[in-house]
Amino acid sequence: MDTYLISVLSNIGMLAFIALSAYLLLLVGEISFGQQAFFAISAYASGIATAMWGWPFWLGLVWGSLFGGVAAVLVAVPTLRLRGLYFSIATLAFAEMVRLLFEIFTYQVEIDGELVGPDGSEGFRDIRLIYEQDISAFEYMCIIYAVLALVLAGFILLERSRLGAIFRMIGEDPMLTEMQGLNTIAYKLLAAAMAGVIAGAGGALYAHLATYVEPKIFNVMLGVHSLAYGLIGGLGTAFGPLIGVAIDIGFLESVRAISGYRMIVFGGLVAVLLIVRPRGILDEAAVHWIRRRWRQVRHAPD
Amino acid sequence: MIGSSYALLAIGFTLIFGVMRRLNLSYGPSIMLGAFCGTFVYLEFQAGHLLVAVATVVGAVVAGIYIERLCFWAIRQGAALASMVSSFAIWMQLEELITLLFPERTYRFPPLAESVSIDLGPFFFRAENLIMFACAAVLMVLLHVLLYRTRFGLALRALSENPLAARFMGINVQWIIFLAFALASALGGVAAYLIVGTDGQITPMFGLWATFKGLIAMMLGGMGSVPGAILGGLLLGVIETQSVWYLGTEFRDLTAYMVLFVFLVLRPGGLMGQHTVRREQAAYRRV
Repeated sequence: MDTYLISVLSNIGMLAFIALSAYLLLLVGEISFGQQAFFAISAYASGIATAMWGWPFWLGLVWGSLFGGVAAVLVAVPTLRLRGLYFSIATLAFAEMVRLLFEIFTYQVEIDGELVGPDGSEGFRDIRLIYEQDISAFEYMCIIYAVLALVLAGFILLERSRLGAIFRMIGEDPMLTEMQGLNTIAYKLLAAAMAGVIAGAGGALYAHLATYVEPKIFNVMLGVHSLAYGLIGGLGTAFGPLIGVAIDIGFLESVRAISGYRMIVFGGLVAVLLIVRPRGILDEAAVHWIRRRWRQVRHAPD
Repeated sequence: MIGSSYALLAIGFTLIFGVMRRLNLSYGPSIMLGAFCGTFVYLEFQAGHLLVAVATVVGAVVAGIYIERLCFWAIRQGAALASMVSSFAIWMQLEELITLLFPERTYRFPPLAESVSIDLGPFFFRAENLIMFACAAVLMVLLHVLLYRTRFGLALRALSENPLAARFMGINVQWIIFLAFALASALGGVAAYLIVGTDGQITPMFGLWATFKGLIAMMLGGMGSVPGAILGGLLLGVIETQSVWYLGTEFRDLTAYMVLFVFLVLRPGGLMGQHTVRREQAAYRRV
């Protein structure tokens, strides 16, 4: 594979994490503009762990994801009492706070005569682990997709489990769920924690691929994009957000020729798509239809 | 002083939100489009103040109507999320359009007035800030008259109170929404003219800035409440200038977001919207 394709595929994989994280919260009916905050927190946490404390990569990944999850719970406890748009704006405010804090966050140590560590708005340079350990871009892409496959497997299990059913039920009608004797807030907290971990895993992977993290990347645009991916691809299945990411990045890359106009075309396409299918390409009805067809094909007498 | 421009942006937001219960993320970019129309008229034809202002407002209204048709009218009721994301898509579209048409980073905009400062006892003001404040005040009075003294205002308020009941009363919901959108965009256009005129220049970043300042001011004041939006805007202006004064420029946005977050957690209804939140909660508990 040539390097260009690898970098595109790696980007798709990375964005898939944050899209899935926003998707998980969409399942329980909450719109979060702030998943990029956990992405950012984990990128910094894991970068600090590997580049400054010399931890191995997998430990940094786990550490970063945990950090994302814990941060998500801490934010979710006060904000999940808010409903609807209030929650969305609170997450937005939180994410911007995190970004602006990283703009002034400085923590550097000297390693081999060089200052390493985050330096305010200059960003966090030299997270060189994948060069030091001689991991090629292709291998790293495989790592990304391995972790992504793990997350997706988790999602597929979730969809088949009682927990997944409860999540969807909360998204459909929280009041009815509560009447079944289920603690909606606790389940939403769980969803928020899982979403934080997923975004965290993406952030840790991102930091090591880019080797350079700056606060600017984690702006609101990233958060709104990640929401949009789920909605373009469809809310019916975890593959929806992946499709959304693939459409966005794939489209942007394939139409380099008309690069000047691509956002105009893409923005219009998304707007029209959402008129036709307000819950995305693979919405619940489409997923149901596909499953039924699949069963028919499988059970058809041969 | 900058607070009055935030207040105007917040009113535009709150009008749209109050009527539709949906968020228009494209609000900032649409008024930015208006401001660039004004710049274009100014640079190409050396137009005077009035013409530039008219061009700005017209541009903003046209962009607003485009957004309303595509993202809100065409997407059926109930899919609030879809219209939000689609308005975001249109945001990207408008921004790209503007960077294509105006490839340079900044453009000159006719300044509102010569930079004179006026001393009033211990305070001193810049003339353009005073103009901005005066214009904002006049607009708010006009808006108040429109909302509380005309049939259109009555219909608008009925619609934001209860859309279904409003429909039964024979109000043409789609038409009122359309008009509210146009009104909000026109207000945004004026706000854009005042803000950009004070700065004397405009960049394609203006859309993002306007959306977020308007959003924060609206949330501080309380969603869907016009007096709340005014208060919220003024409050935001005070918070920002105070934090710059005491903590430094890098803390300006940070403090604003921090205050917003705390406000949302402790008092989600904002300054003036608490009763609607309470009502919702009470209804929720009753069931």
